[in-house]
Amino acid sequence: MLKVLLALVPGIAVYVWFFGAAILVQIALASAAALAGEAAMLKARGKPVALFLTDGSALVTAWLIALTFPPIAPWWLTVTATLFAIVVAKHLYGGLGQNPFNPAMVAFAVSIIAFPALMSQWPAVGFTDFAAQMAVVLQSQSAQDAVTMATPLDALRTQLHTPEARATVAGVLGSHATFGNIGGKGWEWIALAYLAGGLWLMQQRIITWHVPAAFLAVLALIATGFSLGNPDRYAGPVFHVVTGGAMLGAFFILTDPVSGATTPRGKLIFAAGAALLTWIIRSFGAYPDGMAFAVLLMNLCVPLIDMGTQPPVFGHKSQKREKRHE
Amino acid sequence: MNEPTAARASLRNAVILTVFALVFTTLMATTYRATLPSILASAEAEKLKLVGEVLPAARYDNALLSDWVDVAVRAELGLAAQDDPVRLYRARHGGAPAALVFEAVAPDGYGGRIRLILAVGADNRLIGVRVVSHKETPGLGDYIDPKKDRNKASPWIRQFDATGFAEVAAADWKVKKDGGRFDARAGATISARAVTGAVRRALQFAVDHRDRLYALPAQSVFEKSVP
Amino acid sequence: MNSYKEIARNGIWKQNTGLVQLLGLCPLLAVSTSFVNGVSLGLATILVMTMASGVVASVRSFIPHEIRIPVFILIIASLVTMVDLAMNAWLHELYLVLGIFIPLIVVNCIVLARVEAFAAKNTPFAAAWDGAMMGVGLVVAIALLGGLRELIGTGQLFSGIDMVIPGTRALQLLPEDYPGFIVAILPPGAFIVLGCLIAGRNWLDAHAERKRAAHAAPAHAA
Repeated sequence: MLKVLLALVPGIAVYVWFFGAAILVQIALASAAALAGEAAMLKARGKPVALFLTDGSALVTAWLIALTFPPIAPWWLTVTATLFAIVVAKHLYGGLGQNPFNPAMVAFAVSIIAFPALMSQWPAVGFTDFAAQMAVVLQSQSAQDAVTMATPLDALRTQLHTPEARATVAGVLGSHATFGNIGGKGWEWIALAYLAGGLWLMQQRIITWHVPAAFLAVLALIATGFSLGNPDRYAGPVFHVVTGGAMLGAFFILTDPVSGATTPRGKLIFAAGAALLTWIIRSFGAYPDGMAFAVLLMNLCVPLIDMGTQPPVFGHKSQKREKRHE
Repeated sequence: MNEPTAARASLRNAVILTVFALVFTTLMATTYRATLPSILASAEAEKLKLVGEVLPAARYDNALLSDWVDVAVRAELGLAAQDDPVRLYRARHGGAPAALVFEAVAPDGYGGRIRLILAVGADNRLIGVRVVSHKETPGLGDYIDPKKDRNKASPWIRQFDATGFAEVAAADWKVKKDGGRFDARAGATISARAVTGAVRRALQFAVDHRDRLYALPAQSVFEKSVP
Repeated sequence: MNSYKEIARNGIWKQNTGLVQLLGLCPLLAVSTSFVNGVSLGLATILVMTMASGVVASVRSFIPHEIRIPVFILIIASLVTMVDLAMNAWLHELYLVLGIFIPLIVVNCIVLARVEAFAAKNTPFAAAWDGAMMGVGLVVAIALLGGLRELIGTGQLFSGIDMVIPGTRALQLLPEDYPGFIVAILPPGAFIVLGCLIAGRNWLDAHAERKRAAHAAPAHAA
């Protein structure tokens, strides 16, 4: 787990470069909340606190929450969401190894449904004034339109949604200050840093190639198909892959060994399904990024996928064969 | 069991079932008759309450609910082809036109159609607008409904109150983000944009056809004259 | 089983419809968005269950076994229709809020289940009491669920009380600037809060069981 945290560092560094140091405060807040919640729950359940606390899984959850939430989210939102992830999504479901849903994504889904306004308050590119960001985080000052900005996915969807504007993907991407060269301004570089960290994890054999490759390939494939069919309405593959939570999700969220599929073939199906759902929710859903919902929905399918892809144990008749004999 | 006994048992069951059905149907019919006047009165009161949201009762003295015109004009009121005509109520004070109360639809809300009720005064001034039903995102776009609006002191929808049609230039009938004069909450412009557009279209309709709308006999159908 | 105290215990705690039998979950989850909505539907259900059980128990000797289910349904449906009409007439606003869930009391399986399992075999008073207590159990569950969801979701309690008692107002229990955790009011919140309530009830039961065991153990040793 320590290596997973290490692999996130380049992404975080780029994040700080583009969007300021508030994200570091969020990571600290989430980490503290996660460790406190984890310790309290372990104690309540009569488990050895020190042993489980040092496995780092709570910290990974905390970091993922901080990285998927807006860096200028109010402090209590980060803390509540992290506690919800650890206490409800993880421990009430049986703790590490038992939780069917990715705790960080549960926290994200709950928060975006409960506080959609706060969860769509992202700092504008170039708004890196730490004191001003902290004022928003500590809620001594509410976020102003000048310092917040819709995320690239949000901006694209909002503009395409306005019937009077007759906007096209190319028109929106070209006109808006949110967009950079290939994705969102700043966001594209963060995504590439995540990619680097993810590749290092793969080289270290912490994760296998199946999930990230299948996820990114399928997402790109669907995006390519639709954007070729109707380029005005659907964004292209590069945009989809480097914006939102796609890259973070592919290498750090979907690869969660507890809530993800376990067999190699299962991982491919799991990741492909998540990619399909992500694209569908992004293109037609009511919430800007479909990543979290896609992960949770695919988490639900994991037992089924694992059952269907389990290699037959040597010496046992396969279930199909047995059926035929009946 | 032999044939005649089975037949007799069936017959007995049928009779018992019929008796039960008769008794309970009678009970239900009695209840229905006893409650009917109250139900009709409640439904009427409910309608008047909805109208009262946009038009204070002091501004008219006619029997509002029977002084209506069905409006079969769709585009201006945001209706789709399969929708029923809109029932437009005409409020009068001392016989003189006071206000038109009718529903309009904003078809382009974030979550689909937003149904509005508006009251337009005889002076071509909006008296009030309310959202009747909507499917906007809870906590984000639902501030268009004053019951869900966190700003209780001055709910968003109230900014339309008392807006005169002639006072606002056509280009200003937009949310501020699009260069108009109406507010919208950050992060949820689409809902506000949809409502603002629908209000403009509906108000325009009421202003354009004001005289004919008031002049038509009660309970008739308004259709746009063919040019 | 047939002592009135036992029936009450059974209905409110041991066989609580909402928290133990998990019957009639659809209205329980859908209407419990606020305390007033939930309790109102619960009261309507009490009314229907008491009457249905009482009526069925009084006429049970006339109902042949083969056609008992159609007759039960007939009785329940008529009673629900009457309650529906009465609410439409005298609690119109509330009627609009509860909407389809009043007529749906007919298909709330708990009503038919109690009629079939208890009222068809017992005296009218015992049956009516059983129906009422099962209903009270539902009201307790739905009131807790509705109250918690409303409080967590909006920071208020008893919103909409003016629909039942004109002139009263909702209580603002949490600070005015409480942001409102609206997940609690949305459908997922219903499941989460219900799950916590069931867990809480089971915990109380287990706690009582442990206490009893601890109490009994020394006596046993002696």
